[in-house]
Amino acid sequence: MASPEKSEEEVATEFTSYYLQRATTEFAEDLDKVRAADDFKNDALQILVSALQQGTVLFSPDEQRRIVTAAARPEGKP
Amino acid sequence: MGKRFSHSLDGAAAFRKRQKIAHEAPTSEDVHASRQLQQLLSFSQDPVRARHGLQSFKLFLDDLLNPDSDHADRPRILRDYLRSACPAPADDDENPKRQQELIARNLSADKGKAFIISPTLRMLKEAVSFDGGAIARPLFRARASMLKSLARNMGIVHIGDAAEDSKRPSARTNAILFFLSALKFLHAEAKKELLSQRDIVSALTRDVKQDPPYLVRELLEGLRSHVLLDDKLPREAKASLLNASTLTRLAALYHYRLDSQADDEQPSISDIAHRFLIVACTNPACGVLRQDSGFYPRGVDPNAAIPTAELDDLGLEAIVWMNKFKTEVPVRNYTLSNFLPNLRPWSSVKQSELITSIFKVAPELVANYFLTNKSFTFEPKLSATWIGYAAFLFNVVALSLPDHLCRATTGFPELPPPPSIVIDNILPPPLNQKTLTRSLTNKSNMISFFATRILVVAIEKLEEAIKMHQDASHSNKTVWAEAARRLVDEFCQRSPGIKEMINAYRSIPENDLLHREAASRLLRLCYEVLPQVALMAKFDVSPFLETALARLSKQELNDPRDFALNLKELENLLAIAGYSPGMRWLAASETLSLSPFTLLLKACVDAPHGVALETIRTVLNFVAVEQQLVPADDKHPGLLALLEALQLLRQSSPDSVTHLWPFLDNCLTRCANAPVKYVERMQELIQEASSGADQDLAGAVISPFTVAVLEQLPFVAAKEDGTATVKALGRFLPGFMGLSATAGESEPLLDLAFSKMVTHLSDSKGKLAKAGVPRNLQFQHNTSQPGRETKARKDRHTTARREELQTEPVLDEEALENTLHVPDGLEADNSALIKWSSKTVDELVDEGYLTALIALLASEHASIRKEALVNILKAAAKIKQSEYEEKEQIWLLLSELAETARDNINDGPLPSTIASFACHALNVLRDPLSNLYAKVNIFLTRGPVWSLDKLPLVDEVLSEDPGVGDAFYAQASWLLDYLTDGLRTPRDLELFHRKRAKGPVLERVLALAANPYMRAPLRSQVLRLLYRATRIQGGSTTLTTRFGIVNWLEARRAGCAGADAAAEAAVYAGLRRRIWETCDQDRVRAWSKGGLRDAVP
Repeated sequence: MASPEKSEEEVATEFTSYYLQRATTEFAEDLDKVRAADDFKNDALQILVSALQQGTVLFSPDEQRRIVTAAARPEGKP
Repeated sequence: MGKRFSHSLDGAAAFRKRQKIAHEAPTSEDVHASRQLQQLLSFSQDPVRARHGLQSFKLFLDDLLNPDSDHADRPRILRDYLRSACPAPADDDENPKRQQELIARNLSADKGKAFIISPTLRMLKEAVSFDGGAIARPLFRARASMLKSLARNMGIVHIGDAAEDSKRPSARTNAILFFLSALKFLHAEAKKELLSQRDIVSALTRDVKQDPPYLVRELLEGLRSHVLLDDKLPREAKASLLNASTLTRLAALYHYRLDSQADDEQPSISDIAHRFLIVACTNPACGVLRQDSGFYPRGVDPNAAIPTAELDDLGLEAIVWMNKFKTEVPVRNYTLSNFLPNLRPWSSVKQSELITSIFKVAPELVANYFLTNKSFTFEPKLSATWIGYAAFLFNVVALSLPDHLCRATTGFPELPPPPSIVIDNILPPPLNQKTLTRSLTNKSNMISFFATRILVVAIEKLEEAIKMHQDASHSNKTVWAEAARRLVDEFCQRSPGIKEMINAYRSIPENDLLHREAASRLLRLCYEVLPQVALMAKFDVSPFLETALARLSKQELNDPRDFALNLKELENLLAIAGYSPGMRWLAASETLSLSPFTLLLKACVDAPHGVALETIRTVLNFVAVEQQLVPADDKHPGLLALLEALQLLRQSSPDSVTHLWPFLDNCLTRCANAPVKYVERMQELIQEASSGADQDLAGAVISPFTVAVLEQLPFVAAKEDGTATVKALGRFLPGFMGLSATAGESEPLLDLAFSKMVTHLSDSKGKLAKAGVPRNLQFQHNTSQPGRETKARKDRHTTARREELQTEPVLDEEALENTLHVPDGLEADNSALIKWSSKTVDELVDEGYLTALIALLASEHASIRKEALVNILKAAAKIKQSEYEEKEQIWLLLSELAETARDNINDGPLPSTIASFACHALNVLRDPLSNLYAKVNIFLTRGPVWSLDKLPLVDEVLSEDPGVGDAFYAQASWLLDYLTDGLRTPRDLELFHRKRAKGPVLERVLALAANPYMRAPLRSQVLRLLYRATRIQGGSTTLTTRFGIVNWLEARRAGCAGADAAAEAAVYAGLRRRIWETCDQDRVRAWSKGGLRDAVP
C-alpha cells in the first residue's frame, strides 16, 4: 500500500528542505564567498537562508508535490 | 538617583551592601494609646526613629487582625488616632491643593534629585491603579500637578554601561510605569488627552532602545493593549502616539542590545517590537494605516468622466494625470511613507517582512517608496547586503496586484492606473535593465540565480496585470489596451533582453538543476507573455532540449526528486519547442545518438516511479500524431502501445530495452521522414491479408511505425552485431503487437505482420510463431487515454461507451480460466470399475470410489456404462449389508439411480445432471447434519425413478423454504456446484434452457445472481457455470441468443462500483469477451442485427 497522501504542509516542508539542499549544493562556492564578506554579521545567515528558500514560491503546490513524491515509491513497483 | 550610583560597583560589592540593609531589623514598641500612635507616626528625619514608628504601627495592625489575640481596646485606639489625624473640615479645599502642590514640586525637582522624583512617581502609579483605578479620574483632573514635568522625567535615564537594575529603577522607568498605569486605568477621553501631549509621547520612546528589557516589554505590551487594541479610543488618539518618529524609534528595537540571551522562554524584544509594528502599521484600526486606492495615487479620480471622442483621439494622453507620477507619487499614508525609509530591509528579515506586510495593505506605497529612496542600488556584489536587498525586492515583486488595481471589490474603475506606477510595482526602479543584466550575466551563479528568480515572478506579475487590463468588463477598452501595451514596453525597457536570458541559461553548469529550471522557466514565460520579443530572438531550443534529454538519459540522477526537477526543466523546454516552429523532433543530430523524440520516449520509459509524466506523454503523443507515426484516429491511443510495451520490457528485462533504442529510433525517424511510404506498405499488407482469408479488411489499420519495424527488421537481423537487438525484439514485439491489438488495431493485419517478423527473430523452437500475437493484453502503466488529455483530440462522438469498455480492465483468457474454470467432476475414470470392490464401505462412500463409479454412467461408451450400472448395484448391496450408519439412504439413492439408468444407458450416456446430482446427493447423505439432508431424503422417498428431463431439487432449493434457518445461500451454493458439474455436453445444456413452468433453469440461475444480497463467492459460482457453458459447443451462442447474456454481463459489470469491485468487473468483461469469441459470430451478428459486434470489444 502506498503511504497516505501527504498534507499540504508536509509537502511544503519537505520541498523547502529539498530546495535548500539543492541550492546550497549548487551555490556552495558563492555561499562561501558571501560568508567571507565584510558585511556577513548579525542576521546575515538568517537573511541568506530566507533569501534562498523564497524561491519555493515559484513552484505551485502541485509541482512541489510532484517533486517530493517522486521519492516516495521505490523503483520496480508500479 | 542615577548620578548617586554612577560610580561603578562591582557585582559582589553591590550584593553585600544590599544584604546588610536587609538584615537590619527595625525596633518596635507596644501601642497602648492613640496619642502614643500619633507620636510614633509623626514625621522624622531620623530613619531609625521613623522605621521604629512604622514597625510598631505594623505590629499593632497585625495584632488587630489576629483573631486569637485579646485586643478589646485596640480598635478604639485606632479610631481615636484616625479621628485626630483627619484634617479639620475647614481644610477641605486647602488640603488637597497643598498636597498637589507638594507633588508637583516633587515632580519638578531638580533633575539630580531622582530620589525625590522616583518615589513620587511610584506613589502616583500606586494611586492611579488603587482599587482598580477608583481614583484615576479625580487624579487626572489634577493633571496640571500630576503630569508635571512628566516628559522631562521620562528623560532622566539610567546612566552607566551595565543594564539598569530592576530593584533601582530610574526616574524614567518610574515615569513610564506611571504613564502606562494611567493608560490602563483612565477612560478613553482622558487617554486621548494624555496622548495628545506631544512632549510626553515623544519622550516616551526617545530613549527606548536604552531601556531595560522588562520595561520595554511592559511598554510595548501596555501600548498594545491600552492604545492599539482599545476599541473605544479614537483613531486620531492612536495616530498621535504612532507618528513616524515613534515608529522609527520602536523600529530601533530590531537591534536592541540589552536583551538577556539566556531566556529562551520569552520572545525576544526584537520579536515583540516586530509584532507590535506589524499590528500598528497594518491594522487600520490602529490609526496609522489609511485606506488607499491601490495603483491610483492620492488626488486622482479613476472614474473621471472623459468624453469618449477625446479618449478615442488621444488615448491615454487624454487623461491629464496619466504621466504625472514618474518621479513622485502622492500618497494617503504619509506616516508610513515617512517611516519606511528608516527601515533597513536588506539587513533584517523581519524589517523586510514589515515593509512587505505594509505594501500588501497599502500598495500605493510601493512606487512612492522606491521613488523616494533612490540611494540604494541593485548593483551586483557577492555580499550579504546585496542578497538581503535581492530577497527584499523579490518579496516586493512577488506581492499580488491589488484587487481591480484600485483595491475595490466591485469592479475596475473607468480609467486604467498610470502605467508607470504599475510597472514600478512589477519591476521597482532599482531593478533597471543595467543592473538586472549585470546580475543575470554575472559570473557568480548565485547572483544570476537571484536575478532569474526575480524576473520569473516579475513576468508572472506582468502577465496578471495584462490580463486585468484586458478584462472584458472595461468600458474604455481602447485606453486600457493602450495602457497594457505601455506596460509591455516599459517592462522590456527595464528587463534584460531575451538574448541575455538565453546566454545566462546557456552558461549554467550542467548539474545546477534548480538554476536551470528557473532559467528555462524564465525563457518559457517570455514566450508565453512576451511572444513578440521572444520570437525576435530566433532562439533554437533544440540544442537545449537535446542536452536536457541527454542528461536525463544518462541516468546520473540518483535522487528521484532531481529527476522530477529535471523533468520540470524539460517540460519548460518542450513548451518553448511548442512555441518555436521548425523543431526537428525526428532528425538525427551530430551531438546526439538518438533523435530528440526517441530521447524523450526514453526519458519517459526510464523515469523513476512516482514521477508524473503526463506533460511529456502528451507531447510525445502530439508529435507522434503530427509525424504520422501512429494512426491519426481519435479512438487510437496514439503512442501508448509502444510506451507501455517498452515499460513492460524495462521491468522484465532492462538490458533488452537498452539494445532496442537505436533500432526503434531508426524506425521512428524513417517513418516520420516518409510517412506515405508506410501507409502504402500497410495497404499492401491489407491486400495480402484479405486475399488469404476470406475477410473484408477495408478500413483496417495498424500503426505506420509497426510497418516500419517490419520493413527494418530484416536489415538488423542481417547485421553481424544485430544479435542482441534481434533478441531484444523477440521479447519486445509480441507484447507490442498484442498491445496494439488491445489499442484497437486490426488483428488480422497484426497477425500477418507478426508472422512475417517472426522469420527474422531468433525463434528456433518456433515458440513465438506458435504463440502468435497475444490477445487481450492489458495496459498497466498507462491506464488513462492520452487522447483525452489533449484538447485537440477530445472525442465529441458517441463512442464514449466503447472507449470506456476499451479502457476497462478485462481479464485475459488465461486469467479468466484460472478464475472460472472448474475441473470436470464427472471425468471418466474406468479403473473405478475395479478399484471399488477392494475397499471398505467407509472408503467407498467417503473417499470418492462410489462417485467415480456413478460418473461412469455418463461415459460415452455403452459397455462402460453397463459395467458401471452392474457395479453400482453390487456396491449398493454391499453397503446395505454393512454397518455403515447411513446405509439405508445411500442404498436407496444408488437403487433409484440404477433404476433410472437401467433403461436409458443403452441409447446414450446418462445426462450429466443426473449423475452429478447423484454424486452431490451422496455427499449430503453422508452427513445427517447437512441442511439439505431433509430435502434429499424427501426427494428420494418421492418415487423409485427420476425423470431424466428434470434437474432434481432445483425447484426445491430455489423456490421452497430452505427448511433450516438461513440455509438458502448454502443450499444455493450446493445446487450451483451440482449444476456446474452436471453441465458437460450440448445435451446437458439443452436441459438448462428447456422451457419449464418456472422458466428455464439457466434463467433462474441468472436471476439468482442478480440478488443484491448474494455474496461474491456465490456470484462467482454462477459465473463458473456460465464459463462451463461457453466450453460446450454452441454454449456461447445459446447464452447470447437465448438469454441475452452479453447485456446481462454488461449490466453486472456496470453494477460493480468501487475499487473492490474492479476485479469482479474485469471478470464480467473477460467473460463477455470470451462469449463473443466462442459464439457463432455470424449467427449472433445476424441475430443482433449487427448490434453486438460493436458492444463487444
